[in-house]
Amino acid sequence: MGSEKVSPLEVRGLTKVYPVFKLEEVSFRLEPGTITGFIGRNGAGKTTTINSILSFVRPDGGAVSFFGLNAAEHSREILERIGFVSAGMTYYTRKKLKKITEVVRTFYPGWDEQAYRARMSAFGLEEEKTPAELSNGMKIKYALALALSHGAELLILDEPTSGLDPVSREELVEVFLKLKDEGKTVFFSTHITSDLEKCADRILFLQRGKLRADDTLDGFRDAWRIAECAAEIPQALREAARGCCRVRDGYTVLVPKEGAEAFGAREASLEEIMIHLEKEADEA
Amino acid sequence: MKLLMKEWKLCMHPMGFLMPLCAALVLVPGYPYGVSCFYTGLGIFFICLTARENHDAAFTLTLPVSRGEAVRARILFCAILEAATILLMALFILLKNLIGNTPNPAGLDAGLATIGEGLILFALFNLIFFPLYFRDVSKPGKAFAFAAVPVFLWIILEIAATYAVPFFRDVLDRPDPAYMAEKALFTLGGLALFLAGTAKSVQLSVKRFEEQDLSL
Repeated sequence: MGSEKVSPLEVRGLTKVYPVFKLEEVSFRLEPGTITGFIGRNGAGKTTTINSILSFVRPDGGAVSFFGLNAAEHSREILERIGFVSAGMTYYTRKKLKKITEVVRTFYPGWDEQAYRARMSAFGLEEEKTPAELSNGMKIKYALALALSHGAELLILDEPTSGLDPVSREELVEVFLKLKDEGKTVFFSTHITSDLEKCADRILFLQRGKLRADDTLDGFRDAWRIAECAAEIPQALREAARGCCRVRDGYTVLVPKEGAEAFGAREASLEEIMIHLEKEADEA
Repeated sequence: MKLLMKEWKLCMHPMGFLMPLCAALVLVPGYPYGVSCFYTGLGIFFICLTARENHDAAFTLTLPVSRGEAVRARILFCAILEAATILLMALFILLKNLIGNTPNPAGLDAGLATIGEGLILFALFNLIFFPLYFRDVSKPGKAFAFAAVPVFLWIILEIAATYAVPFFRDVLDRPDPAYMAEKALFTLGGLALFLAGTAKSVQLSVKRFEEQDLSL
């Protein structure tokens, strides 16, 4: 008998075809109580993946299950156990938060009013305000307060830190870490990789509709090194290169860890890895 | 019920309240009374427009409800507004009969048959507007434009019928209480069409909304 925990979200072979874009056979599995960062440049398919997972768009192939339950057959039960927050979405901007909450709470049998009050207070949110009066960071906190008050065990966030100043982003990252401490699973897409360096356990890297990497943060970073060269890139380095970028003093080149010592390469940041791999794809 | 409350608290546009009050137009002499029902259709369009501007579809689909339930709630909510319009129209017709009804040269006289006319108009509107709207919730204007054409065509035909079609001219377009049995049958027929048209509209709308990829 296997002792593998039930995954809060498991995606197998997710495919969505548009006339100019294809999401191809995306498969991954989230571990409970972890933070997973879903990275990729704009247009890589992150939002399409999330929209397909949540059935906002109808996938052309693949299967999605939450907590071991098939998404298509148990949507109501699943939606009671997850929360979705999108930075680009603002609901009922002229309605008071109080009124929106009044409506939302009726849909959840497990609504915890005490938890709601506590979250609102902790996030510094006032119910008499409207979403239009909130900053982007506060809007996300309000959406999180709603999701957490109905007992969401899995939080799916689409670009939650986009458009936020560094201090607000830092605050949100701290919120995610607290949620993880409470046993919640957090899955969030972003192209601001520095946020993930601070909190993610796992990284999913999506490139042009395909899942290019699915690894722990340390494993993903450890697989690569950055070599720097002042002028022309030596032939040996050019052959090992997996994408190079022009910088002020010359070039940076991404190389696999194996053999990187020969080039005096240093550790690579998540952002450097993503940018160089995108460069490689652009040049291919 | 919860979704109906959501429609009421979050999606209702002031025009949704105001337009059914246009039922009072039956008090105006020489007016095509079908148009007063059309205004409620305009109110419904504003509700759908408000829903689009507030990303209501995306919000609703994050709640533990199915797409079908979301569609049924919106159509039922609008059908309640239509029923309220009909009820108000009936009350204003009674009032008009008390203060003195006059023949209407622009279509049916204000009477029982006018209610039937309104119900047929709503049946047409629901059957065309909602399936088009739920095919693409980001384009309520297009759905409304397509629904408005047959509705106005019906109003024009009905006005012409009060001059050219004997049943309309000699039976329906007579002040109450003349031909009440025939008018009651006509109105019951209108009610049947309203119920059948709205039910079909729900069926088509659910199917189309289920298939739709929402662009969020």
